[in-house]
Amino acid sequence: MNFDLDENQELFKAAVERFCQGQDVAARRAARALPGGIDRARWKELAELGLIGLAAGEADGGMAGSHGDLAVVAQALGQAQAVEPWLECGFLPARLLAGSAHLEGVIAGEKIAAFAFAELGRRFVLEAQGVKARGGKLSGTKQFVLGGGAADIFVVTAEEDGKTALYVVDAKAPEVEVRPYPVADGGVAAIVTFHDAAAEGPLAADLGAVIDEARLMAAAEMVGVASRLFTDTLEYIKTREQFGQPIGRFQVLQHRMVDCYARVESVQSALLRALLQPAAPMAAIKAHVAENAIWVAHQAVQLHGGMGMSDELGIGHGLKRMVLLSKLFGDPASDILDYARAA
Amino acid sequence: MDMDFAPEDLAFQKEVRAFLDDKLNARLREGAAGTPSVFTEPDITREWQAILAEKGWLATSWPVEDGGPGWTPTQKYIFEKECAIAGAPSLPILGLRLVGPVICHFGTPEQKARFLPRIISGEDYWCQGYSEPGAGSDLAAVKTRAERVGDKYIVNGSKIWTTHAHHANWIFALVRTDPTVQKQRGISFLLVPMEQPGVSVSPIVTMANDHEVNATFFDNAETSADNLIGEEGQGWTIAKFLLENERGGSCAAPALLAKLDRIERWAREEASGTNGSMIHDPNISQRLARLRLEAQAFEVTELRILAELAKGRPAGPQTSLVKLTSSNLRQQIDELAVDLFGYDGLQLPVTRPLYGNEAPEYVGSRAAQLSLPAYLNGRAYTIFGGSDEVQKTIIAKQVLGL
Repeated sequence: MNFDLDENQELFKAAVERFCQGQDVAARRAARALPGGIDRARWKELAELGLIGLAAGEADGGMAGSHGDLAVVAQALGQAQAVEPWLECGFLPARLLAGSAHLEGVIAGEKIAAFAFAELGRRFVLEAQGVKARGGKLSGTKQFVLGGGAADIFVVTAEEDGKTALYVVDAKAPEVEVRPYPVADGGVAAIVTFHDAAAEGPLAADLGAVIDEARLMAAAEMVGVASRLFTDTLEYIKTREQFGQPIGRFQVLQHRMVDCYARVESVQSALLRALLQPAAPMAAIKAHVAENAIWVAHQAVQLHGGMGMSDELGIGHGLKRMVLLSKLFGDPASDILDYARAA
Repeated sequence: MDMDFAPEDLAFQKEVRAFLDDKLNARLREGAAGTPSVFTEPDITREWQAILAEKGWLATSWPVEDGGPGWTPTQKYIFEKECAIAGAPSLPILGLRLVGPVICHFGTPEQKARFLPRIISGEDYWCQGYSEPGAGSDLAAVKTRAERVGDKYIVNGSKIWTTHAHHANWIFALVRTDPTVQKQRGISFLLVPMEQPGVSVSPIVTMANDHEVNATFFDNAETSADNLIGEEGQGWTIAKFLLENERGGSCAAPALLAKLDRIERWAREEASGTNGSMIHDPNISQRLARLRLEAQAFEVTELRILAELAKGRPAGPQTSLVKLTSSNLRQQIDELAVDLFGYDGLQLPVTRPLYGNEAPEYVGSRAAQLSLPAYLNGRAYTIFGGSDEVQKTIIAKQVLGL
């Protein structure tokens, strides 16, 4: 038995840490303020570190990282509160585009791909209905397309012959209408409407399997964010003085921090279990991590007081990112209920 | 024992309902519903304030001689309840509910004559200078210094979380007039005009993207010595009066129940994606039911306080639970709304306002667009005005005798 990171994993973790060094609140805001909410130069840098290629297979010019390798990256990005949508526009396209000629540009960070899976009025249902593929063309509307404001191509779920399949569409095609809107973590999502837009596909990727992997990565990122908020809050209550002493001297806050600590350790263990010997569906694991991680984030805001409410601190940014991740491909309550019903 | 209002109170309730039906126009309702922050913006509140001032129903917690309507505690409760149910905008309470009653109680006749009519007319817009970077929960640690020089005070220091300071032309502040005595005893309650070179305001944007609070800086700001309320060193007593005044009866539950009713309506309209509407979702419907039960019970807690006040007896110890209970309930309700809307609950508009022609386009519905900002701003309910932790310490000591 061994829970240590291996040599390569240490290298990936260090690469993420170097990449994120100095990326404070101001840098995050500046990136978010760019058109599409993504700093393309930084995105290319992230790609050049091999962090997108790690999620692609060797046949596609990737590094075929294991789930463990990828989770290390996701967790380190969460820990550093990285603003780059690695999960949405890196990991997911690298998996979904397996075997596609588009993958090369995505791995190189030259092409930004966004995954269009959600439909209006369909909540978390993954089977496509609103977007239809007919004769190599797509029509219909997707929403909540994360990274959709910056995307060069869309990977789209569409219905054909009663089944859901994956297609690629050029985001700049005149038959594609993109309406960007801001979302929880400061990123830009989009409502995307296809008007008989030319599509390549169907792609070969196993959609269900990729979604499960994405849930695992979302859980890993949340473990990172929760751990970061925990350490930041611990530091804060040791230094913030009220009533003539650091507020961390007050027993009620000590106990609260112990509860946070227990939950951070619990989600870390849940993640490792999911990676090494999963005993529950990924959706349920992600739900469990999300509920605990968001509880920790709420405490982090509370213990920072007014400062925790301010957008000047990373605390709120962490909470908002986790609110978004917690609902990606299903929310905690419904995922836990599904697990209960299956048991 | 019964829980009914007396016939004269029911008649009053009817009068209030008719008034709200008549005067609460669509713009005001939309402005109130479209405000995800704690305070409503002046473009909405000024109009509503003027309507209430004309009717004489504005300064409800002031004595009649100062411009109050002379209502009983029950009438005050009924008015607030009906406003909450009708979806009326909140009022600029910093003037009307905080500094107003202080001036009524501690002010000289000159101060009353000068300030009170201008609060009612809306000519003066007030903000509160209590917290400082080093004095949050430990409010008595305020350092902002006011020195008496001739017939003026010269103010230096900074205040934080000054709500709507960017709209205000006056601030009421806790300032240190005597740094040599025990900390509570060196504090005074001072009114300072905002429109002067020595006062500057810098915005603090919340994680919900709302600009509601600020940092306010005093650099040799001046105010006339006539603007001291009470005596030097009486500031802490006045600050406590102000808090107690806030606790003189409350009406928080009806607004919470009204919000739950709205969530139920939205749940009926929100598609589950699989089998009809979200009202049948086991998680959403259970949480709705639990929160309703809690809010219904809380409504009675507030009525028990009201019953004491109505009999002219001092309010019971339950008052200490009001803030704690209402803020926690509120947060859970706001969380439920976000969860109801699925991906649409994850939109987070960057611009304000979220009502009227300037509002950005929404995804799904306006209610969905408002849900996340309301939830994020609502995290402050358990922080401001005495955090949960401070509230519990006070209750443990003063109510439970621990």
